[in-house]
Amino acid sequence: MPKRWRTLPFLVWGLLVPSFALATQPFENTAIVRTIELGGSLVHVTATYAVKALEPGSSVYTVALGQEQRRKTSWVEAKVKGQPKALLLQDLGYDEKSKSFLIGIELPKPLDIDGTVSLVLETVETHATYPWPQSAGQDEEQKLKYNTSLFVISPYHTAVQRTKIKLPSARVISYTTPEDVEEFTLDSPVTKSGATVTYGPYHNIAPSANHAFIDNHQKLVTLHFNYDFPILELTKYKRAAEISHWGANLNIQDEIHLHNGGPTLKGHFSRLHHQTQSFYQRSAPHVLASMHLYLPAGISNVYYYDLIGNVSTSKLRTTPSVSRNVKSPQYSVLEMRPRYPLLGGWNYSFTLGWDSPLQDSASWDARSGRYIIGVPIMTPIPSAVIDDAEVKIILPEGANDIEVYQPFSAIDSNISTHITYLDTTGRRAITFKYKYLTDKHNQLIYVAYKVSLSAHLKKPVAVATAFIILFSLAFGGRRVNLRLHKK
Amino acid sequence: MDSYETIQELHNSLPAFSPYIPVALLPYIALVLLSSTFTLAFYFSTLPKDALPVRETAVATTASILGGFGVVALFCSAGVYV
Repeated sequence: MPKRWRTLPFLVWGLLVPSFALATQPFENTAIVRTIELGGSLVHVTATYAVKALEPGSSVYTVALGQEQRRKTSWVEAKVKGQPKALLLQDLGYDEKSKSFLIGIELPKPLDIDGTVSLVLETVETHATYPWPQSAGQDEEQKLKYNTSLFVISPYHTAVQRTKIKLPSARVISYTTPEDVEEFTLDSPVTKSGATVTYGPYHNIAPSANHAFIDNHQKLVTLHFNYDFPILELTKYKRAAEISHWGANLNIQDEIHLHNGGPTLKGHFSRLHHQTQSFYQRSAPHVLASMHLYLPAGISNVYYYDLIGNVSTSKLRTTPSVSRNVKSPQYSVLEMRPRYPLLGGWNYSFTLGWDSPLQDSASWDARSGRYIIGVPIMTPIPSAVIDDAEVKIILPEGANDIEVYQPFSAIDSNISTHITYLDTTGRRAITFKYKYLTDKHNQLIYVAYKVSLSAHLKKPVAVATAFIILFSLAFGGRRVNLRLHKK
Repeated sequence: MDSYETIQELHNSLPAFSPYIPVALLPYIALVLLSSTFTLAFYFSTLPKDALPVRETAVATTASILGGFGVVALFCSAGVYV
């Protein structure tokens, strides 16, 4: 019974029926090349399908993902090779007959007979590698294992396919040599050159999205390699974005729970050993002593504290504000050092927040009388996966006609009331919950809302009311005679 | 309801948000308004006690309104962006 599968960030959900169920195949793969870039917590898989149409008017190309692959995938995007626009995808779900998960890609134009197109399917897998050995000493190397299936499954016939696995360095400890693949290749089934291990080319593969092929021919391939960077996982990530119109300010606060996903520490941590290593710049590759965070431009009043208090081991270099339309984004850099180095299996939680001018994120639409704000979903932490994310956007008091535009669907979203300083009726806060976010998910949520002038004036009027009450008490108090003697 | 791309293009093409009162002026506005509130409150305390409290109400109302805006400006200039 499959567990709860990760929701994929599809932009459009359609109602088309998979067309490969017909006896005649509408497409044929002339070549499939799958490139896997191995990393720590994130693995980028790019599959290029050279497709030829066998029937006229074929417009939906179906891609199959194996069960294990689908379980680990949390980002899918399809494009025509060389073009920037993403194609519409449909999640066709698990198909029992093909024993795989199907995704329909809507081609930009239906193809005629013998028409060709090159599709690029990019996916990001999270938690796909695991440390092996599972525990390591403070100064030992970090080695990871990665499993994948040997063949790329497809509902259509494939003329030739290959899988290239790019390792972070040329040091690979072992990789599986597949057996019983003489049917598909007469040369060596796997070759290694430098930091790339290539499985293939395999020729003349029949439609493989079915029980027969998967049970008889599909194999598991394992790579065991060295990885010289700390594996970062954010077990929990909470972002709160508070909008202030009076102060023209957007305050963003991140609560981050870092976890080092490397091999757990064998033995105990020696501070002396660690100091010696960092003095001679020879620290172990999987220990996280410091990291760089890229924060937006134009920020001020940055605070970084944890459970104990303010963390002073940080250095911030800000860049001035840029307008919203700038193509190449500018970043402020925060070099931060946690209170203690993170060894394998260790956790560290901290809160990071800053103020940024509202002009950088919000715009005013005079035609419809509404404000539009774009809030980034996350702080980009390179090569890190966020297991559980919650983004809360707190609108000004009195905001109504709220419309939300999400780049991809959240697992859960709700509206609540948030009360803070000088609030009377509270503010509307929209909360989104996500799981397994990667660097590809770093996009903006747009919220359009209206705040009338009377809503803007609610705050000064509330304070004025408090003053009036004080004056009324003074008014009454002046007229009370507290003299002890009669005059 | 527009699509995500439409809103994105719209957002990039629209003028930026601008507050009613420029933020750089807020500390000075806070100073002026709150000192006026203080002065008027003091003046309120010296007013004669009439049967029909016209002056007292007028002074109290003015002081409250100035104080309301002054406190909001004070909060913003102190870094609590309300």
